[in-house]
Formats: sequence, structure tokens, C-alpha cells
Amino acid sequence: MTPAFPLGLWDVSLVLAVTAIVLLVTSEILSPYYGAANLRINKKRLKNAAMTTSILFLTTVAIQIAAIIYGIS
Amino acid sequence: MRISVNVSRSIGIALFILGMTALLAATVYSTPIPALIGLGLVFWGVIIAYIQPDEYVKKTILDSTSTTLLDTLDETLKTLDYEGKATYLPPKYLNDPESIKAYIPKQETGTLPLPEAIQKLEMQPVPKDAQGILITPPGAQLARLLEKEIGTSLLTTSLNDLQHRLPHTLIEDMEIVTECEIRQADDKIDGRSQENAQSNRNVISAKFTTTAFRDTCKRATQLSTIFSNVGCPLSSVLAIAFAKATGKPTQILSEKISEDGLTSETKYIIIEEPNI
Repeated sequence: MTPAFPLGLWDVSLVLAVTAIVLLVTSEILSPYYGAANLRINKKRLKNAAMTTSILFLTTVAIQIAAIIYGIS
Repeated sequence: MRISVNVSRSIGIALFILGMTALLAATVYSTPIPALIGLGLVFWGVIIAYIQPDEYVKKTILDSTSTTLLDTLDETLKTLDYEGKATYLPPKYLNDPESIKAYIPKQETGTLPLPEAIQKLEMQPVPKDAQGILITPPGAQLARLLEKEIGTSLLTTSLNDLQHRLPHTLIEDMEIVTECEIRQADDKIDGRSQENAQSNRNVISAKFTTTAFRDTCKRATQLSTIFSNVGCPLSSVLAIAFAKATGKPTQILSEKISEDGLTSETKYIIIEEPNI
């Protein structure tokens, strides 16, 4: 038996979705607009990480939609 | 010997290694649960290692250093008897366009000299018989930081552009204010004569709430040559920004700081020069 990666694109998409939601909500809650200016974290980097994860998640969704449309399994 | 350890980076790397091990094991044994856990750990490891904590200093240290500088500037101006209104100069008045200077005339009624005279004055900042003095305003370095955060020189921005970008940069990127509103004085004035509106167009009003500069701004209210003149560091930054963006000399017309030092309302006037 050859070793195979046990997760599919759907699983990766799920992990990315959960991570993206957590990061986006955190970066929004910690925004200085709501007065949270005393937390020692680089908010710019947090926002960048949240955006990157969201884009990665949307890319996996786009791949799945394309797979459904073109009938690729 | 004290070894400095970056805690967040160490945690991130540890999570990443743990995640990779779980992924490897899951691949070898073809089990999905460790793979899911491993994937999560790898993502969070990378994210935690990337999101570094910012470097911070205690606010009390910031206050004690900046208020001392304001005190020194106030004492110097009083000792040298410079009583005039400070004017923030645009680059055309200076030899080096990147330098940031404010001109203070000797007399209360003193006017702004021609750019050539100021450029000559810049070569020897305190000549004996000078009618004015050039100083580096309290917000000079902060204005350079602002340019860095905006990602462009203030010289290449317009006033309208600045009006939209400044609040976002000051609140989100620099985190020195929690609320900021900048508007030209005639923005919300209706039913006035055209002439009046025209004269108001040169007046810009800025209202902001700050916790970072609360004590410094509060201290500035007690210094006669600073308050409503050179301005507290935050008012000074905006005056520099307006002078650079408009290319015209700018003065602080009035400054109102609340008793607790949190809220500040400053009015600036962009001076229309005679054709030089």
C-alpha cells in the first residue's frame, strides 16, 4: 500500500474557512475603531493573515465550483 | 548571559513542526483525523509566527519625554522673545524640500518673509538681527512616520486626498487617535454669501480623540508659545501635512483641548500668498 494524503480539497477548504472566520472576526474586534488600541499585537499583519486565509478559502471554493461545472471528480 | 527569545515565533514554529509531524503520520497511516488536526496546527503555526507582537513603550515614558521637549521649546521661545504666530512652511520656502520647519516672527504682528529670505535664514537659524526664527516643529518626526505609513510623500497628495486618507492612517495604522474628523470649514455651512464661503475655504477644521497624546496635549495648554501657536505634537503633524499637501504656508488658527486632554479641536488656516 502506497501512502496517500487522507484529506481532500473539501477538508482543506473547511479548515481554511474556520481559520479565516476566526482571524477576520478577531481583526475586526481588535480594530482601533472600537477603541482596542492597547493590545500588543501587529494588527496590520493580523489583517493581512486574515485576508490571505480568506482568499485561499475562496480559491478552494472556486476550484470546487469549476470541478462541478466541468465535471472533474 | 540573557538570551532573548521571541515567544510568539517559538510557539509558531513548535505548532508548525507538530502539525507537519501529524500530517506525515496521517499520510503514512492514511487516517483523516490526525491529518485534519495537523493541517490546523500547520496553519496556526504559520499565522502565529507571522503575527509578531509590536514593540511598545509605556505611555508614561512617552509623556515624560515629549512634555519635556515642549517645555524646552516654550522656554527657548520665551527667552528669545519670539512672540509671533508660528507658520508651517511648505517646501518651496526651504533649501531642502524634505526638511520640516516652522517660522516664528519676532513681533506679534510680524509677517512671513519671502522664500529667498527664509532660505537664507535656514543657513544660519539664529542670526542676531533676525526678524524671525526657524524651528523644527514638535510633530516633524511624526509627520515623517505618517508619510511612511501612507506610503507616499505628503508633497504628492492633494488636500482632498489627505482629508480621506489621514483619519484611516492615524486611527488604523498609527493608532495614535481613536476618532478623527477633518473637514474644510465651509463643508457644512449653507446659506452664506459666496465671498464668505470663499474665505472659509482656506480654513480646515480637525477634531480628534487621543489617548496616546492625552497628557502631552493637556500640558501644551499650559504653554503660551505652544498652545494655539506651534501646537501640540498632533496638531503640529496635521499643520505639516496641510502645508506640504497644499504647498502653502499654514498656521494654527485656534486650538481647543478638553479638560481631560482627550478631545482636541484645531482650526488651521492656509495662507494665500501674494504672487511671488
